[in-house]
Amino acid sequence: MRIPILKLHKYLLISVQVELDDQTALQFQEDLLNKIHQEGSIGVVIDLTSVEMIDSYIAKVLGDVVEMSNLMGAKVVLTGIQPAVAITLIDMGIMLNEVPTALDLEQGLEKLQQELEG
Amino acid sequence: MQPSIVEMIYTQKQDIISDWLSEINNVMPSGLAKKIPNEASDETNKKFVELIIESLELTEEAATEKLNEFAQHLIYLGWPLSYFTQGMQAFRRVLLETMSSMESISSKKVFETFYEIETWVDSIINQIADEYSGSWESTIHLQRMALKELSAPLIPVFEKVSVMPLVGTIDTERAKLIMENVLDGIIEHRSQVVLIDITGVPVVDTMVAHHLIQTAEAIRLVGAECILVGIRPEIAQTIVNLGIDLSKFRTKSSLRRGVETGLELTQRKIIKIENDDERIDSR
Repeated sequence: MRIPILKLHKYLLISVQVELDDQTALQFQEDLLNKIHQEGSIGVVIDLTSVEMIDSYIAKVLGDVVEMSNLMGAKVVLTGIQPAVAITLIDMGIMLNEVPTALDLEQGLEKLQQELEG
Repeated sequence: MQPSIVEMIYTQKQDIISDWLSEINNVMPSGLAKKIPNEASDETNKKFVELIIESLELTEEAATEKLNEFAQHLIYLGWPLSYFTQGMQAFRRVLLETMSSMESISSKKVFETFYEIETWVDSIINQIADEYSGSWESTIHLQRMALKELSAPLIPVFEKVSVMPLVGTIDTERAKLIMENVLDGIIEHRSQVVLIDITGVPVVDTMVAHHLIQTAEAIRLVGAECILVGIRPEIAQTIVNLGIDLSKFRTKSSLRRGVETGLELTQRKIIKIENDDERIDSR
């Protein structure tokens, strides 16, 4: 199962529509980094609106993806984390401290723009 | 129940009832006796004892239903549970006295009968106690629901800015509710900034602070920002003395300054409307 990565000008958009398992997450990590390399993108928005569950491993992978993308010069914003997901993450002690977040795709893009300009 | 006992109760019915009535007046909780006029309590007493005796010949279900109905009526009127328990205990005493005064029954028989009566009376007591505790539980449940509704509202004051005023102590259960409400509210109102006002929280200890920190983290995860406002001087002192690190969060002393910061974060500000003539002048 591969998660589609869409290109929009200098940004990449990913809307995760499936429940993430370990394999899919790792595949996604690889795909995204390749895509950033290929397209020279400067910003990435990962939308998690339809994700209902994130376990500690997936959370770690997401954190890693953000860090790796930053290393490659692309800012990442996570958007649309559901309340239930947020509560589970906090309960597990996963704060995703270094990761910028936004309410939805629209605000995520705005945030990216701000961060890239500022 | 053995037919002989039932029959005995029926033949002695009048005596039992009158004995019981005098007994119940002795054991009536003193507070209740003052509150309720004599005629009313006499009537209830009569009804009660007749119901007990009547329940002998009814089927179990019918008896249960009648008893429940009676108990519910008295619960509604505010009679205490002790009235029932003491009443039933008095009834048992009266019954045993009546029986032991009858010479036709041997002591062995009395012993057997005692056991049966014990079971019968106890089952009625249990049933009534159940009825009472059920009514208490439902009262508690209603109150808890009411409290929950009042507990953690999220108020959208401006576009993208919401306020959650907290009043009263925060325990783990309430903290959970606060977190759920705030996160759902953020999604619903599309808020970017949430002001949590703790002016009305009397004590902020490590546990409360922990819950607040968790809530703020969760708010950040769903993509909004949290500002803690209404930090009173004594709260600031406790927080520092307890060594709680809130440096990661924005904090403000009052809701007003919080609102200003919230608007600033969403690139807006409050300005004073200039007078029309002034504007003309300045041109």
